[in-house]
Amino acid sequence: MTALPWIDVVGYWLGIFLTFSVLSFLYKDNPFYKLVEHLFIGVSVGYLIVLQYGDNIEPKVIDAIFGGDLDGVWLGLRIVALVLVLMMFAKVVSRRWAWLGRYPLAFVVAFYAGLQVNAMAQAELGAQIKFAASSIDAPKVDLNAAPAEALTSLPGSSPAVAAKLVAERARQPFTSVDDAATRPSLTDLERADLAAARGHLIGLDARAAVGPGERDAFGLVSNLLLLLATLASLVYFYFSVAHRGPIGAVSRFGVWILMIGFGAAFGLTVLGRISLAIGRAYDVLGRTVAPEDAARIHAPWASLASIALIAGGLTIWELRQRRVQPVPPPGADGQS
Amino acid sequence: MAAEHWSERLQRFDRRWIFLIMGLAVVVPLFVPLNLPTRPDPMTKAAYNTVEALPEGARVFVSIDLDPSATPELEPFYRAVILHLKRKRARLVFATTWYAAPPLVNRYLRETVDRAIAPPGAEGYDGAPDRAYQRNVDYVYLGFRDGRSAIIQAFGSDLRGAFDGRADDGTPLDRIPMMQGLNKLADFDLVVLVSAGSPGAKEYVQYVGTRNRLPMVAACTAVSTADLAPYVQTGQLLGLVGGMAGAAGYERLVGKPGAGTAGADVLNIGTMVVILAIVFGNVVYFAGRAHRRRGGRS
Repeated sequence: MTALPWIDVVGYWLGIFLTFSVLSFLYKDNPFYKLVEHLFIGVSVGYLIVLQYGDNIEPKVIDAIFGGDLDGVWLGLRIVALVLVLMMFAKVVSRRWAWLGRYPLAFVVAFYAGLQVNAMAQAELGAQIKFAASSIDAPKVDLNAAPAEALTSLPGSSPAVAAKLVAERARQPFTSVDDAATRPSLTDLERADLAAARGHLIGLDARAAVGPGERDAFGLVSNLLLLLATLASLVYFYFSVAHRGPIGAVSRFGVWILMIGFGAAFGLTVLGRISLAIGRAYDVLGRTVAPEDAARIHAPWASLASIALIAGGLTIWELRQRRVQPVPPPGADGQS
Repeated sequence: MAAEHWSERLQRFDRRWIFLIMGLAVVVPLFVPLNLPTRPDPMTKAAYNTVEALPEGARVFVSIDLDPSATPELEPFYRAVILHLKRKRARLVFATTWYAAPPLVNRYLRETVDRAIAPPGAEGYDGAPDRAYQRNVDYVYLGFRDGRSAIIQAFGSDLRGAFDGRADDGTPLDRIPMMQGLNKLADFDLVVLVSAGSPGAKEYVQYVGTRNRLPMVAACTAVSTADLAPYVQTGQLLGLVGGMAGAAGYERLVGKPGAGTAGADVLNIGTMVVILAIVFGNVVYFAGRAHRRRGGRS
């Protein structure tokens, strides 16, 4: 295996230094953070321009119009697109002709509105209303009769487990859910997965049965709650009647449901932010590269060097700041 | 002068202590792993089962729509699902609609498709091995196309046209045998979406998935999970892997622990720190309010 090129090693060091520079903002706004901020914007814009040129402007405008491969209507359409693009720049170069920029904007808005209306009607309104209007009944999955797909959907199950359960019940029908989960053809891992999900199979949220007609009580309550919560949330956004009396109570229930939804979203956001921190921690500790590459990068040492450099730089910067703007003594600004 | 109440002192608590505690909560478990258990949630399991049910040699479209900031959450899933698909000998077609993705996708293809992820005898792995795939034989990388939702709609009607009939390396798609009969997304057995935001899984569901009844599974950042979960309930997505926690569950199902599993410890402890910080903040707030009501200083 070839050793990691030096340019890549330097790239990793730079990444580590820039990570700590961004984190230095936790102390306060400072030149290291500003450097990264400007670098990030500059690199992003530069990269985007090069990519757009190579991906769109060169092949679809320059080559298409001047290459001679297109003619007639197709060539005309490309020229129309080019003219629309140039009209966008009218807003920048001349206040007198700025109104020309409204036409390409109108085109873009109308185009995406047309796309969006169709998509929303089908995927959001249609599919979601259809689901919300479905039966609240929650029958249990009959292990002795259900098709393989239904068995696969059970907690702890998988397509392989479902196939084995179908074969096992053909040999001898199941007498209980535990009987099904401990049949000999299942592997130890499959049995362990089913045992871990036992609470969902036979407990309060019992989803499985060995006879027809049984109902999942928890599923029924869950479906009913979903229906009521959907209706109450919609009532909250219905402003044509005053939210007083029974309507007010339903609306308030809707607010609580919305709050629970926002709480879940906030929790997931926190998880996402912690994941970002984990990702950077992996990088600065050199855990994301192969061991032989990590040995060349020496990420922990690069991290310590970066921290020392930034801490030293911030100290010098603070001392210079104080020399330029002496810190007022406590209480001089009228506050204690 | 009356002594300051403890709740008033704590209300001026320097929040940088929280940053420090959170920093330690993230770094320390990396050195001292607790190996807390991870269980795949039902949506992750549904995604796994969908891939598991694919026939051998299935044709799968993989859209990698992310940027570097989303890699900690999505890369673990990507690696796990590619191993899973390669074990099924799936033929893969890759594309991206994010301008920041191509450098990442090129690296991913080099590390996970051109090479075997779990060759025979791989340490800590008992599952079936995978093999190195050959470009334009076992897999095709179509490249990046801009156009947000409009280009996703184009994938649904004319995939070849959207990429001007060429793969990313310039090879005409007509000359690639595995591309025969693959003209639009509906021609694939499965669409796998590795989606960090917009355009991504939501747009695929809205613009092509629902209309063409495409079998699709998605992985998304934790932030987007609440937005996309309703699509799993309605069957518009067959499975959803949310954030690093979901990826850890998928890794467990595939049988090859990776960065997601390693991060699960940190995620649990970090979440605990946030919960404690919220409880601490509320205790201080309510104690301060009670103190003021009793006639204490405001």
